[in-house]
Amino acid sequence: MPDNELQLEVIVNGQSTIIRANKNAPLRTIIQLALQQTGNAGQPPENWELRDAAGVLLPLDQKIEEFNFPTDAKLFLNLRAGVGG
Amino acid sequence: MATPQYTDPKVSRRKFEREVEEYRRNEVAYRSRGWILVEADFPRVLVVLCAAKLKPAAVITGVRFDYSNYDAAPPSVQLVEPFTGEPYRAAELPTTLKRQVVGPALPPGASLPPGANVPRLVGHQPLMQAYGPEDMPFLCLAGVREYHEHPAHSGDAWELHRCIGAGRLVRLLEVIDTYGVRPISGYNVELVPRIGFAQNEVPE
Repeated sequence: MPDNELQLEVIVNGQSTIIRANKNAPLRTIIQLALQQTGNAGQPPENWELRDAAGVLLPLDQKIEEFNFPTDAKLFLNLRAGVGG
Repeated sequence: MATPQYTDPKVSRRKFEREVEEYRRNEVAYRSRGWILVEADFPRVLVVLCAAKLKPAAVITGVRFDYSNYDAAPPSVQLVEPFTGEPYRAAELPTTLKRQVVGPALPPGASLPPGANVPRLVGHQPLMQAYGPEDMPFLCLAGVREYHEHPAHSGDAWELHRCIGAGRLVRLLEVIDTYGVRPISGYNVELVPRIGFAQNEVPE
């Protein structure tokens, strides 16, 4: 794997997938990849939210490298709640 | 009351097992967030949600899922008393899953002088809805059986949400946790002082 890439485990609605991501890219770039790899193509990326293992919402415009994710990091991608009524 | 199983039970059972298996694979991470899977016996799952960051930690609510007929039909989701499994009535809910909603910029017909800042009205809308305090509340969220069976949501069919995992166990827990548990930041303690008369002696 090139030096500028890393692997991340993303849990999409409970389903695990491994992403190869560019460290210098913003975090939001992994959302599209994770959705493609898990066959979740029905909703645009902005309808999903990404959290760390502690449940904290992650800033999507920050570079992936700046998070200093450990090698066994798991990120959780879940569909947002729509408008209730 | 048990829901009649009208789809092939093998299919629903397999999909139910997949939900539970995927949950179990990351159970340690979920437990550290305060999610405790107590029971998983087709078609039902009971998860207890705790506010793990409070000192002492607090048990907030149980969540019971019923995956009968999944995923021809969405799961039923109820907030239940965690120790007895009894569903909460609206007045008993420990949390109503309030979310912030931004209202319209201005009431219809109102206007502001040019250049004025347009105020935005921000309100709170509970995701747990009921008609009255004694009614059984339901989670007003696409992906939940009670939502799709409600006549007001006949235009938002389950089939529109099924393919994106709206009824999946972890996704529903995430929503309930986000709006119902995570915002709890501490304990509210109300002390009510009572004033009476002190009496030193009781005369004969």
